[in-house]
Formats: sequence, structure tokens, C-alpha cells
Amino acid sequence: MGSFRKVCRWLHRELGFFAVGLTLVYAVSGLAVNHVHHWNPDNTSAMETWSIEAPGLGPTEEITPLVISRLALAEPPKDSWRAAEHLLHVFTRDGTVEVDLNTGGVRRERVTPRPILYDMNFMHLNKGKGVWTIVADAYAVLLTLLALSGIFLVKGRRGLAGRGGVLMGLGILLPILYAWLARG
Amino acid sequence: MRKSVIMFLILLVAVAGVAVAKDKVYGKGVSEGDVTKISAIMADTDSYQGKTVRIEGTAVAICASRGCWVEISSDLEGQTLRLKVKDGEIVFPSKIVGERIAAEGVFTANHVTEENKVCSHKATQEATGYSCTTSYQVTGTGAVVSFK
Repeated sequence: MGSFRKVCRWLHRELGFFAVGLTLVYAVSGLAVNHVHHWNPDNTSAMETWSIEAPGLGPTEEITPLVISRLALAEPPKDSWRAAEHLLHVFTRDGTVEVDLNTGGVRRERVTPRPILYDMNFMHLNKGKGVWTIVADAYAVLLTLLALSGIFLVKGRRGLAGRGGVLMGLGILLPILYAWLARG
Repeated sequence: MRKSVIMFLILLVAVAGVAVAKDKVYGKGVSEGDVTKISAIMADTDSYQGKTVRIEGTAVAICASRGCWVEISSDLEGQTLRLKVKDGEIVFPSKIVGERIAAEGVFTANHVTEENKVCSHKATQEATGYSCTTSYQVTGTGAVVSFK
């Protein structure tokens, strides 16, 4: 049993150090994407309004270049779309510019990726698929090894036979209880 | 010498073009076959229901928080058709808005309430007094976005 505990300690210590980076990525992103109903965890959005001379309700092929020239954007737009008779959407690299053709009112939404968090969420939700699926699978195995080796680190009253066992039981009971209650 | 310079410039432009125009495949992508105009589908929704369609247009709006749907512009002004994909299976980034998108999936009609909740049995509707509308979507299996 002594050598088994030694192996567990070694595994737990070495893998624990290695898992710090990935654990932080998954934990921080986990908090962020858990509240996706309250905020956008990937991007920030900024709204800006101003006015241009009203272009009027002409044919789209005539109106579009007129609107683009009056908007005087810093870079050429990606595309445009007549959303309604009085609305033209101009798509830029960082968002959408909506122009009211009747009034000349302009509403620009700029979407910017949140620094660091965007990449963390990208990894956590495995949006890239491919090689990250292998990394994420390996991390899941690593976490399992950490959990299992952690059980045998301490012996005696603070270990599995005592307080540690009670805490472990509570930790196992929590998801089982929730699953039972959630299913009604 | 001049010919060589012109040839070099043409090659440079071609390489730059390849580098700039980049296609990104999402999910299973789009198979070979005819593309159906969104206006044609929307003009005859009953005939297309349950059928696999390939559509094309500009991505004009996206689900900002989950990236699980994209509104694709029709060939008719002001008209769009929603491409809905399974949450988490395909995630569209916000940068696809304004890019050309080709998509494939099954055309479906959903009976929903004003709050976009699925309508239940007709008798229940009448009893509870809420009204239902039909919203159309392509339940997508894949898409290809051509980034400029």
C-alpha cells in the first residue's frame, strides 16, 4: 500500500502542475459561458449613432454607392443588404452599419472579441474541433487520474477512512441529488 | 524584362487573391448539387417542407451569444431564411456577418407563439387563447463561408 500511495502522490503532483493552465482555461471560461443568457462571453458590442444626408428610397444599386460614400468609412465595406425599403445594412470588418434611407439616421454596431476570454471560450467549447478534441480528451483523462490519485494521498482520520471519505461522499451525492431532483 | 515584371505582378495578384479569399467549412459542408433560390423556397413552402435544400446568400445576422443560427439574405430584397444548427455542434463566429455563405439542410416549418415557443395542440391553443405563427428555417448540416 505504501508504494501505491507513493505512485499516487507522484502522479497527483506531476499531473497537477501540468493541469494548472488548462484547468484555469476551463474554469474561467466555464464561469463565463454559464451565464450566456446574461451577457455575451465572446464579444463586446459598442453602439454609435450619427446622421448623414438622407439618401432617399431609390433603387438599391443607385443608393448603395451613395450611402457608402456619405458614410466615409475608414475601410471599404465587405457587403451591403437592403433589409427593408427604408433600411440599408452595410457590413464592415467589425460589425454592421444600419442606415435609415428616409431620415439619414445611422446606427453602427462594432463587435470586438473580448481579450483572452474569447480564446478561452473557443477552447472550452471546442469550436475549432480537430486537434483540440484530442487535447480536450487527454485533459479529461488527466482530470480523472488527478481525482482518483487524490483519494489516496492522505491516510488515517483525514483520509478516505475519515473526513476525506465524508467529503468525497458529499461531492458524489451532490450531482446525483441534482440529477434526481432535476428529472422530477 | 517588362514582360517578366508583368508576369510577376499577375502571379502576385493571383497569390494574394488566393490568400485573401478563404473558404471555411462548417459541419459537413455543402455537397455538390443545384442551389435553390431562397425566394423560390419561400414562395412554395409546402413543397419544400422536409426536403434537403442548398441555399446561398449573405450572412446578415447571427445569434450573438451561441452562434447557433444565421440569417441568410434572399435574392429578394428584405427576405431572409434562417439557418439553424445544433447548439455546440457548429458554432458560427460573429465575423461571418457580411460574408457569402452556402448552406445545406432540411427545410422545416415551426409553429411558434409570439415568444418563439413551440405551439402545442390546436385545442390547447384555442383554450388558452394564444396565437401561433409559422416560422421557417433550414435545419443545417453544414455550411461554407467565403471570407473576403
